[in-house]
Amino acid sequence: MMVTSRAQHRPWGRSDLASRSELSAFLESVERRAFKQAVFAVRDEQAALDLVEAAMLRLAEKYGDRPAAELPMLFHRIMQNAIRDYYRRQKVRSLWTTLLSSLSPGRGEDEDHDPLETYEPSEDREVAPPPGVGLEQSQVLEIIEQELARLPARQREAFLMRYWEELDVAETARIMGCSEGSVKTHCSRATHALAAALKARGVTL
Amino acid sequence: MNELQFASRIRQILNQGTVSLRPEAAERLRHAREAALARQRHERAPVLVWADNVLGNGGWGWGALSARVLLPAAMLVVAAFGIYRWQETQRLAEVVEIDTQLLTDDLPIDAYLDRGFQNWLKKRAAEE
Repeated sequence: MMVTSRAQHRPWGRSDLASRSELSAFLESVERRAFKQAVFAVRDEQAALDLVEAAMLRLAEKYGDRPAAELPMLFHRIMQNAIRDYYRRQKVRSLWTTLLSSLSPGRGEDEDHDPLETYEPSEDREVAPPPGVGLEQSQVLEIIEQELARLPARQREAFLMRYWEELDVAETARIMGCSEGSVKTHCSRATHALAAALKARGVTL
Repeated sequence: MNELQFASRIRQILNQGTVSLRPEAAERLRHAREAALARQRHERAPVLVWADNVLGNGGWGWGALSARVLLPAAMLVVAAFGIYRWQETQRLAEVVEIDTQLLTDDLPIDAYLDRGFQNWLKKRAAEE
């Protein structure tokens, strides 16, 4: 990495700490991928934007004085924690909703509420196109994004860190807080699942 | 296609996806980045900040050095000595009290050197 090699020539002092332009360049390079990854994880664009925004602020406020070479790891770690917190909050919220709705008896309109009336099939359940049909580039992208969102969270995390963010196994393991062995396992499972899913939907890369 | 080839193909396609982001989302990301940059932390490593404070930002004057380093250091030494003296006094007082009790007891002090007496004390304690 360019930033690293430059920083290594400076033995000590402030000069290897991330300058404003370095932080800016890093955030600019990573923000769109981070946003997409958050969308895969939480399946909600607004929530994903909130998460990325909070992670950027946190990085700048808390770690803005760290060497530029450390920024990617710190940022992804913050993102992953933020996503996990989001899941946790969702779980607590849904628990309270079920508890409260079971505690308040006999709300008239709920009695004859038929879930089928308001049921909307989610868009990613649409019928797969017949295999072999040539697909547009944008359709391929859409299918890949849908299938990525469907992967188990840890597999998707490992796959995207390794192959989209191009971090090495050790860095991914530190970000995910697991062993290098499980990063490799998650990655290879994700690759196989993704390849199988794409094949089933008639996508050839 | 092996895993790496597959992954690099996926990466290419995903990267295209980031180019064609919805304009609102791209704009919001840009705002977020600028807000974050405005609040970037600029502190240096704590050791450097301390060294800077100690030596004074302007120069190496002895006045600044004595006020910032020598005075707190002297206070630390005085406090440590005070604590040491106080602990020593406490310890002496305890020793004096035990000695006084032993010497003013009805039992002659030699009794504590007698093995049989010690065994008898232990046995009595066990029985009780």
